Amino acid sequence: MSNPLGTVLLYIDGSESSITAAQLAIAMAKAYGCSLRAMYVVNENLLAELLKAKVFVQMEKMDYERDLEEDGKRYLNYIVKLADRKGLQIETILRKGVVHEEVAREAEDCAADLLVQGELGEVLSLRDSFYEEGERILRKVKCPVMVVRGADRIERMFDDL
Amino acid sequence: MRLTDYIGPEHIKLDLEGTDKQEVIEELVEHMSEHCSRCDADTLFEAVMNRERDGSTGLEKGIAIPHAKCDAVDKLRIVVGISKEGVDFEAQDGQPSHLFFLMIAPTTESGPHVQAIAKIVKMIKIDGFREKLLKAERPEQIIEAIERVENGEQ
Repeated sequence: MSNPLGTVLLYIDGSESSITAAQLAIAMAKAYGCSLRAMYVVNENLLAELLKAKVFVQMEKMDYERDLEEDGKRYLNYIVKLADRKGLQIETILRKGVVHEEVAREAEDCAADLLVQGELGEVLSLRDSFYEEGERILRKVKCPVMVVRGADRIERMFDDL
Repeated sequence: MRLTDYIGPEHIKLDLEGTDKQEVIEELVEHMSEHCSRCDADTLFEAVMNRERDGSTGLEKGIAIPHAKCDAVDKLRIVVGISKEGVDFEAQDGQPSHLFFLMIAPTTESGPHVQAIAKIVKMIKIDGFREKLLKAERPEQIIEAIERVENGEQ
């Protein structure tokens, strides 16, 4: 029987919760011999909305886009180092676009057996729940999704790994 | 991210006295400077005014979100200000601005900065939220209103 968790895709957004998700994904990859891919998406949609609302001007939007890309590289490098500390090599993917669509596309392209992500963000209203990125990813991807909670417990487990 | 991690009662100024855009921004950055170690008010003022020169951050319905990136702050800093009289902030609808969210973040913290701005833009669209903030008589009432929204209670 082939490994049911052959490829695990980890989505990170730089939040503490996504770092917790990364720790669990690394532990799982090590325990079950999975291939792990970590992904960050520059949220172009959000920037476009702020431009449309005239909170941002065009130049500023482009400036923030570059900043977020740099943030993404930094977060992914951090995850690579976390994995390296546990003797694991991972692949990283940095994309720009509509977050849930990019994550769903990558999950399909790499034939992910599991998507791991951090806690869902708080929602401001029922309508808002449809716009929260974590929720959108849950609705969009076709593979199983693991939403990771319990930072303290996972951190202890990761340290003991 | 939760806005209430960044906004405490000390970050709220209910009685802005400025009568024009420049005076209001001065008051807001001075308030930020008082509650943020090593933030120089003049540097913050320059950063915000530079941004305003590219286009006003005065939105509709009396709201303005003046913001800037500036390494004079150690992390994302937010000050909420209310002007009872209202000032001409070159708003999109031409109406006076009453409710101000000043947001300044260092260049290395664009992620939280963008998220915080987006969250405020969403919040001010919620029925009754803007009115609740404008009616506040104490800073704690503003925190409570934001918390209620963040907890999904409104």
